[in-house]
Amino acid sequence: MIEALELFSNSLIASLLLSFAVALIGPLMLINRYNYLAASIAHGSYGGVGLAIYFGISILLGATLFALFLAFLLALITFKEKYPEILISLVWAVGMSIGIIFIDLAPGYKSDLLAYLFGDILLVPNLDLWFMVGVDLLLLAFVALYKNHLLALAYDREFATLRGLDVKFLHTLTLIMIALTVVMSIRSIGLILVIALFSIPPYIAEKFSRSYVGSMVLSGIITLIVMIAGLFISYTFNISASASIILFTAVLFLGVFKR
Amino acid sequence: MRLAISIKNLFFKYRNENVLEEINATICEGEYIALIGPNGGGKSTLLKLILGLLTPTQGEVLIFGKPPFKQRKLLGYMPQYVNFKLELPLLVKEVILQGRLERFKFRYTPNDFKALYEISQKLKIENLLDKKISTLSGGLRQRVLLARALIANPKILLLDEPTASVDMKAQREIYALLKTLPITKLVVSHDINLLLEGVDRVFYVNKRLVIHESLDIKISSPREGHFCQVELFEELKRSKNDRSS
Repeated sequence: MIEALELFSNSLIASLLLSFAVALIGPLMLINRYNYLAASIAHGSYGGVGLAIYFGISILLGATLFALFLAFLLALITFKEKYPEILISLVWAVGMSIGIIFIDLAPGYKSDLLAYLFGDILLVPNLDLWFMVGVDLLLLAFVALYKNHLLALAYDREFATLRGLDVKFLHTLTLIMIALTVVMSIRSIGLILVIALFSIPPYIAEKFSRSYVGSMVLSGIITLIVMIAGLFISYTFNISASASIILFTAVLFLGVFKR
Repeated sequence: MRLAISIKNLFFKYRNENVLEEINATICEGEYIALIGPNGGGKSTLLKLILGLLTPTQGEVLIFGKPPFKQRKLLGYMPQYVNFKLELPLLVKEVILQGRLERFKFRYTPNDFKALYEISQKLKIENLLDKKISTLSGGLRQRVLLARALIANPKILLLDEPTASVDMKAQREIYALLKTLPITKLVVSHDINLLLEGVDRVFYVNKRLVIHESLDIKISSPREGHFCQVELFEELKRSKNDRSS
């Protein structure tokens, strides 16, 4: 058991840092119905992975820059278009295609695609942990400063506009924060599965919370529980950790809402 | 009397079709205006133009002599409830305090909380401040939104269907409450009762604006319970007969 814990130490730290991020950004995505946008950023970011491998730069850096670019692009799309779903889907698919093609074109060693789409929480490098700490701190500052504005915006956009709040700035900043959170999870849970983690714990939490802050705290706790449970399921049965975490989350979801 | 709102030769197009044409109106400080008209006639659009949420295709709106976006602090707004995300886990006090937010103000001050208690006492919702907004009845929820519109002490109050989806009793309470507020008021409503609650003028909007001056309906019998168009016409018939005899 002690050995297992040592093996898990980075995974546990990663779980904790990711839970903190979900607590801060998950409920915000839920109340704004940003899940589809987040999914588009997450999948599209794969383009950044491909470009980074092709040009031989750090994958974390490549994915971060590309995800930030997508956040700005999607902010622009959601301002301009009345029905932005088509373009959001396009960003999603084009981003992934860019990633696949540039990995094809990359000379020599072909990195494992699946490693970035599904992550591997047992092998999170220390550098990524520090990146996660950085993103967590940014998220904390963002939510601490703008919480009242973000809630006003989510509740009633027109009224927020009338109070003089900068709606476009807040919307763009939220997408940037989502992009950073997506990238921070790239090694641990992966670009695709992270969406489930952003969506389901906040959804469960909202049903059982009286206040928004309560739903944030509960989202974080639920995320931590499913991650640790998933890790031990993965260790016990020797199966993929990310998939175990997500399936455990889904089982919890069904358990809570069956009736 | 100071001029509160002036609308000059205003046109508004949406998808190349005129929603509003040649709107001219002036509203003095302290006036109580009812905005009526058919669905899709442009009532809410006119309200949003006055608020500066929409920009006129032609013409202008001035609030105390300046464009609306410069006068936002003077405007209190209560939107239609259909635009809201009901499931948001917000407390009543959080919703009301939103009326005190500003672009570079991130925390509520003791003054904001003082204003919160004052306005909630005035609207008799001081016991609900810690309740979840989604658990309130329609009538109470509208009071909360009215409190949010009033908490920053606006000079002009604009309300879009404040009594839609509210029962009769709550409707009348809201109108009675509005009557007591000594500020300029513009209310969009289908509700015939509004016309009997001390409204100074009625604006009928159906692409164009028709202004009915000094509406003066005296109700002879005390209103109890049901009151709709039929009763209104009966009253009119009665007053006409009184006049001719």
